[in-house]
Amino acid sequence: MTLGKVFRAVAPPVVFGIIFLGTWELIVKVFDIKPFLLPAPSAIWAEFIDRSDDILDATLVTGANALIGLLFGVAFGIAMSFVLMRFQVANELVTPLAVALNAIPIIVLVPVFNNMFSSTTEVPRRLMVTLIVFFIVMVNVAKGLRQVSPTHLELLRSYAASPGSILVKARIPNAVPYLFTALKIAAPAAVITAFVAEYFGGRQNGLGYSITSNAAASRNAASWAYVIGACTLGLIFYLAAVGLEKATSPSQRSTTQQSGALTPGGVSV
Amino acid sequence: MTVRGVPQAVISDAVVVDRVSMVFNEGKSNEVEALTDVELVICPGDFVSLIGPSGCGKSTLLRLIASLLSPTSGSVLVNGKSASQARIEQDYGMAFQKSGLFEWRTVEKNIELPLELKGWGKAKRRERSAEMLELVKLSEFASHMPWELSGGMQQRVAIARALAAHPPLLLMDEPFGALDEMTREHMQAELLRICAASQTTVVFVTHSIPEAVYLSNRVVVMSPRPGRITEIIDVDLGSDRDEDTREEAGFYGKITAVREALRGAEAVAGPRGIEDR
Repeated sequence: MTLGKVFRAVAPPVVFGIIFLGTWELIVKVFDIKPFLLPAPSAIWAEFIDRSDDILDATLVTGANALIGLLFGVAFGIAMSFVLMRFQVANELVTPLAVALNAIPIIVLVPVFNNMFSSTTEVPRRLMVTLIVFFIVMVNVAKGLRQVSPTHLELLRSYAASPGSILVKARIPNAVPYLFTALKIAAPAAVITAFVAEYFGGRQNGLGYSITSNAAASRNAASWAYVIGACTLGLIFYLAAVGLEKATSPSQRSTTQQSGALTPGGVSV
Repeated sequence: MTVRGVPQAVISDAVVVDRVSMVFNEGKSNEVEALTDVELVICPGDFVSLIGPSGCGKSTLLRLIASLLSPTSGSVLVNGKSASQARIEQDYGMAFQKSGLFEWRTVEKNIELPLELKGWGKAKRRERSAEMLELVKLSEFASHMPWELSGGMQQRVAIARALAAHPPLLLMDEPFGALDEMTREHMQAELLRICAASQTTVVFVTHSIPEAVYLSNRVVVMSPRPGRITEIIDVDLGSDRDEDTREEAGFYGKITAVREALRGAEAVAGPRGIEDR
């Protein structure tokens, strides 16, 4: 990517952001809106600088919960997807269940987990994140392992390839893009879950708790300052997932075809 | 058994299809009689096309030779072995209408896949894939990804992959069906050149009469309900066919012969189909 391309990609959202924040600031000033209703961006920024150490600590707590839950969820999800691929019965049992679970807000299980496990630890929150990530990864990766092109399967059978070879040569590579799709959904979902789980009690150290407690005390600007931390955390997770995809599969169809670049080996984009 | 007067001890047939019948979903309400009592002998070096309307069982016959399906009755021999043994020993290469290239592998890695499964070492594989790329004239694309290639080029890579292990037999299921007419004619000429260079026997399924006539020295005409061989037409246009062949009177003569055989096959199948109801 050239500098010009980067500029063209980044400039529109940045300009929009500046206009948006400027208008916000102006409206608060002109209409003299009280800080407990809507604090001005400048006030939020001042709080953010003032509390930057606390915000960083809270972000690290929530971020660690999200990351640990994400890692466990991905590991269990991948493991289970192989079971679903291998056993049709398991697939028929678990997949509808997973879809149904996606339709209900299972985050409400946090209070139950808080009772089951000590709410003075981070376990209930991490468990909740694991559970959410698990289903996203399992369903997607199982799909990738199963939906191999019929031509590929017929070809491998014509080579008398063993089921193990078919797994390694066709199913697993086929599932890799599905895993990254799952990661791109699961990474921000992990942050949201870790963060919202704090709303349901437990230890008082993360971003979610800080936002609710400051809001309850009508320290709106402080609440918003922690929201900045939350936004940053979500972005970091998403960008890490995208970056991981780019780094491990530079020759994926999606990335190079969009840029239209015909590059030898498809390595550089 | 003798083939063209040569005893079996001297020449072993490339493919022998012996009284093969294939019934799908046998005993169920959706039972389909795909092939009935099919007999076919293919000699080494033959280029045999299977042609016929949809449902005549030509792809089924190809898959029986490939041992991707097992016949309901009868037997298939490839290189003097059972079809399943021939598959295990990779005695044939196969190409489909979809190139079926693995999109996460480079062109040369795609060609090396059958060799990997045979357990070849890396250096030997690379040497062979270079040789195959030269044969299909795509050497400079060795490290490209498949989607960077045109449809015709992808199909050439698929042919190179099918021939990578130097199998004596090449099975092709409408490999040029998705290509435009110009590319298609070019690919046909390329295929003849490649097969002559590698001395490969070919069984080729197609819908196109000119394609069958241009490529083959024998055209097997099939008819549906139930699938069977109705006629085998020898095409004696010589072995050095080129673009001029397409304009020769003999070429047109054979196209007419195959077309009439196909019509005859339909005339036979037609009334039967009506009678059945």
